[in-house]
Amino acid sequence: MKLLSAQNITHSINDAKLFYNLSFDINSAEALHIRGGNGSGKSTLLRIILGITTPSKGLVELIKPDLKISYLGHKNAVKSYLTPLENLELLFHDAELKHAFKWLDQFGLTNVQDELTANLSFGQQKKLALIRVMAQSSELIVLDEPFVGLDQATADQLKNFLAEKLSEGVGLILTSHIDPMIECIELDLGV
Amino acid sequence: MISAFIHKFSSPKSYVRLTEKLYPFFIVLGVSLLTLGWIWGLLFAPQDAVQGNSYRIIFLHVPSVIFAELIYFFMAICALMHLVWRVKLAAYLIKAAAPIGAMITFLGLFSGSIWGIPTWGTWWQWDARITSTLILFIMYLGVITLHGSFSNLIKADRLMSILVIIGVINIPIIKKSVDWWSTLHQPASISISGGSSIDPSMLYPLLISIIGLGFTLISLGILSSRSYIFTREKNKKWIAEHV
Amino acid sequence: MVRLIKSEIFKLLKKLKSWLGPLLIMILVLIAFPLSIDISQFDLDKFYFSIIVVSILMTSFVATEGMFEEDFEDGSLEQEFLLEKDFYKLALAKIFVFVFLIGIPLALIGAIFSFANGVAFNSFAKVFLILSLSNLLLFNVFAFGNALSINKGAMLGVLSSLPLALPVIILLGSSIRTIQYGDGFISIIALMIGIGLLMSALMPLIISAALKTHID
Repeated sequence: MKLLSAQNITHSINDAKLFYNLSFDINSAEALHIRGGNGSGKSTLLRIILGITTPSKGLVELIKPDLKISYLGHKNAVKSYLTPLENLELLFHDAELKHAFKWLDQFGLTNVQDELTANLSFGQQKKLALIRVMAQSSELIVLDEPFVGLDQATADQLKNFLAEKLSEGVGLILTSHIDPMIECIELDLGV
Repeated sequence: MISAFIHKFSSPKSYVRLTEKLYPFFIVLGVSLLTLGWIWGLLFAPQDAVQGNSYRIIFLHVPSVIFAELIYFFMAICALMHLVWRVKLAAYLIKAAAPIGAMITFLGLFSGSIWGIPTWGTWWQWDARITSTLILFIMYLGVITLHGSFSNLIKADRLMSILVIIGVINIPIIKKSVDWWSTLHQPASISISGGSSIDPSMLYPLLISIIGLGFTLISLGILSSRSYIFTREKNKKWIAEHV
Repeated sequence: MVRLIKSEIFKLLKKLKSWLGPLLIMILVLIAFPLSIDISQFDLDKFYFSIIVVSILMTSFVATEGMFEEDFEDGSLEQEFLLEKDFYKLALAKIFVFVFLIGIPLALIGAIFSFANGVAFNSFAKVFLILSLSNLLLFNVFAFGNALSINKGAMLGVLSSLPLALPVIILLGSSIRTIQYGDGFISIIALMIGIGLLMSALMPLIISAALKTHID
């Protein structure tokens, strides 16, 4: 099932052209891996797909307006003045909250769950941010450099999670410098 | 259909071509009328029965205050065009007009202060009208500062347009404020609905000064906007052909 | 909407300095003012209201500073956009929570201090009502200024929102006079309620447009 369709996406920032006439579809159970050098516009393309950034030209059409999307960008969207526990309680309720606690445990954050998030390490904060994606039920997962800051064990957990979600029919779009080790369609934005 | 019409006449390229032809006419007309109005008003118009010669600052003060508000209205129309019809030129015109508006508002406040000394014995009075004009000056500064704070100019254009539209509610408050509070400031001496409270021998040079200042400010605006268009559109082909 | 209100209340109460700070500043200024002047020379109850009005203006600005900055900086705005596609509900929820948790207490402090300085007891409720309504207006105005300037500093916020705040202060001054002279209170309250409702409905729309521009 088609989840979204990008048609003739062209985008410039302050007259510098990032990409030109990009068109692609994302279907369920498919993964798109966007590659490119620094400054090639990978993160911008993700934001265009999500509708956060309006492209200079072109259109992104979602199969349905209320498509459930989970997104993790460069910013973690966690509150530094709350504890990990409080951050999760802010985001989730009932069943999803229980699921989130399970991931808190799996990522080894239970022993710091009552510490202020600001006092956690970069990797720990990243794991907390990832729980948003893990615990939320969604039809499309969009990740921008998800493996940055993760230790090998967590990176493997993430890869397994993504592979599992793909097999459940969830669509996936990610940017990554390292090989995500899952079957992907490659989109190279160049240097 | 409206959209097509607007987009036909609002390309920066056609604006630059059009203003190139109009500018010499406007500047000559503006400066001549302004000179005529000022010489007439400053040297030949009779003395005021109450204020003597000190009233003559009216030939600078009144035109300044009128255009202080008019320029903001112009910016508000441009802001609407930019936000609704995504006209780039409109944003360029706001950016060019704002410093001119700020300058003329300051001139209005300054000339009003000078007028205040012989007339009311004070260079500043916290009445509603003067205070509202001061608020207008701050609004101009806000618009200029807001646009200058963002490196992404597309974003800056849009935020500036939002601020201008919201600020335009200040204009009717200026108008209403004379009714709301008792004040030292004299009521408007020129009324659109007919019947002025000043003598024709003073009214005519005043009207000429107003029209002259208008054309002069339009000329300044044309210079400023053309220069800004060249900066913003510098990568376009038509700029290279034009320059 | 309920989700947003609950989370905004939760976050604001956790950031004690954002919530308690403005209230303490207000109390400090209202105590400091009489201490700083020769009260035998001045009829304090005649112009104490002006001090309350200016304190409300200052503390409202301080209270709303950084209202949207935190969400912009940590990426929460983008997450909210993905859920709701605009920021109307977020802006409405934030302003509502700020007015309820900070604006109303500020109004209460102002009313108490005015009572302590010569205002009749039966005017206490009137003063509280007027100050609450003006806080509703001020918080809307400053939220707008904050949404425009987001992380560009207080100066830009001031320049953007002060020109809109000053007419509110003029209105507030007029309304205080109706209590002092016992005339026209109902009509000015009706005006403030009307403007308050209009602003509360429209301002989040404008704030949403500004925030969308920022994350674009």
